[in-house]
Amino acid sequence: MTTIRKLFIANRAEIALRIVHTARRMGIATVVPMHNQDQFGPALTEADETVEIFGTPAVAAWLDIPGLIRAALDTGCDAIHPGYGFLSENATFAKAVELAGLIFVGPPAPVIELMGDKITARRFAVAQGMPVTLSADEAEDPTTFEKRALAIGFPLLVKGAAGGGGKGMQIARRVEDLANAISVARAESQRYFGDGRLFAERFVEQPRHIEVQVFGDTQGHVIHLGERECSIQRRFQKLIEESPAPKLPDGLRNRICDAAVKLAAAAKYVNAGTVECIVSPDGEFFFLEMNTRLQVEHPVTEMVTGLDLVELQLRVAQGEPLPLDQGDVQFSGHAIECRILAEDADAGFVPDTGKVLLLGIPAGPGVRFDSGVTAGAPVTADFDSMLAKLVVHGADRTLAISRMRSALADTTMLGVTINNDFLSRVLHHPAFARGETDTGFLERHKAELAPAVFTDDERQLMLAVAASAAPDISATRIPEPYASMGAWRN
Amino acid sequence: MAQLIAKMITLQFSDMPDQRHQVQLRTNAVYVNGRPLQVRKAAAGSFTGMLDGRTVRLRAVAHGDTLYVQLRGRGVRIDRVDPTRARAAATPGGAGASHAPMPGVVISLLVAAGQQVKAGDDLLVIESMKLQMTISASLDGEVVELPLAVGQTFQRNDILVRLQTCGDTA
Repeated sequence: MTTIRKLFIANRAEIALRIVHTARRMGIATVVPMHNQDQFGPALTEADETVEIFGTPAVAAWLDIPGLIRAALDTGCDAIHPGYGFLSENATFAKAVELAGLIFVGPPAPVIELMGDKITARRFAVAQGMPVTLSADEAEDPTTFEKRALAIGFPLLVKGAAGGGGKGMQIARRVEDLANAISVARAESQRYFGDGRLFAERFVEQPRHIEVQVFGDTQGHVIHLGERECSIQRRFQKLIEESPAPKLPDGLRNRICDAAVKLAAAAKYVNAGTVECIVSPDGEFFFLEMNTRLQVEHPVTEMVTGLDLVELQLRVAQGEPLPLDQGDVQFSGHAIECRILAEDADAGFVPDTGKVLLLGIPAGPGVRFDSGVTAGAPVTADFDSMLAKLVVHGADRTLAISRMRSALADTTMLGVTINNDFLSRVLHHPAFARGETDTGFLERHKAELAPAVFTDDERQLMLAVAASAAPDISATRIPEPYASMGAWRN
Repeated sequence: MAQLIAKMITLQFSDMPDQRHQVQLRTNAVYVNGRPLQVRKAAAGSFTGMLDGRTVRLRAVAHGDTLYVQLRGRGVRIDRVDPTRARAAATPGGAGASHAPMPGVVISLLVAAGQQVKAGDDLLVIESMKLQMTISASLDGEVVELPLAVGQTFQRNDILVRLQTCGDTA
């Protein structure tokens, strides 16, 4: 067993801060990288040290394997936590970290490699008895790919074999859509993952996205920490996640969780991982992929289990056995997470940029706000649009929903358009309250989710407040024609 | 008798640029288009007002001539305008210019300057955060300018490409 004394966090924003918090509680010092395009993150002020990293565009610095390892070694770190995104699922990075004599907080490189390729992962899952949907793999025979894809039938999902995170995914509903879906998916896949190989599979209509949090240790124990429902998505990216999944029959829940543990155990999985499945309306489930890292939405699992997943990750990385068996895992209440994004949800979810001029952080019983921004921070197009995660817990789903509604209304980031009001409309939707969640939810309820029109009274009040917030307007020149009217009497 | 210069400004909502509102701060009330409203500042950036006989909390902050206000969790942008100035031309680059719908980076250029294109032809691909968007030609004509190179970043409303209809002279 090795003890981690100083941890390099190869990430930024909210997840860097979240890792700093746990490390500090465990007595581990932290180093967070800083880039000249990203100097306002709260992790930079809370970490014990920062170290400058370089790259153009800025994200390149977080993808620079030698640069990050050098930064970790130069600052005397003995371990690297990759967070999520960036290099978190890059087997080459995991290997390089170990070659440099550092601990990689995550699974061993061969496991990342196995699960990182959709095709090998799927074959492995099939071998473990995990159900999968009909599919066609381009690598098998590129010349017949389109023909084999056509044979699966429509609707068809075309995606990058090396992909993830909703990038490089296209749905073809008819034969005539296929050529375009292939070319768009290939271009995006090439750009995001440097690999244009494609994979096509039958698209399950009205699917629910349900995933299982698994954990393994170096002693060979594998447990699950329950499931998360992540069906509220736009453009294949999750917006709202919750645990437990609403209206999921216990028998089905147990089958999915057991299959996930079996898969992870067969892969000799170590550290935190997530087995993603799609669940059809008639209760069938299919393996989607396994993410070999901490997920964005891990806090909902933390809130229902009372466990700190980053702490478990660090303990397992030090070679400690998992401190609990499956039977010790207790689930309590219901948790929901909303991703606070810099985007105009009512204008087709287009990203927005600006500056967080006024930051209002929601608080209250069961409310957690993992923020990646501070007041005054610029929001640029250099990075992902997620600014914070709002997570709530309640004794049951109804209470969690009501706490989330008030917390969203209390969330303020003026100076950039955020999606809190859109999320609030979803949380107020009767179908959401009934637990009728599938990945088509936002599209199906688009009309009802449109913003209410402000009344004249509301607009007038906002104008009055705007004027009251304006810098001393008496000092400004009074424009024509008002200036010529002379002084007003009060 | 004390005389006071009226603190009068002209405001418009960014989503309703056609309507302008006169707002005047007086010591007893804020007058919005002549109607007196009570607003109290509760703390920095925090205000209270009355709606349908109930007290509501609002948040607001100023950034130059832009004012951001949040009511019931929903943020809006309000711009302070100079009523003596005419509105900016709707398309500063002319009819054949494509403007960036959001800030981002150029991913690829699909045409070159001097090339003839038809309306609907793809011209270039841009990306902002995780969204990729193809900019296509709005008219038949010739590409006269592609001011940005691959990898270059731009701001909202920057010109991405300029076209000229057949027969136009530069």
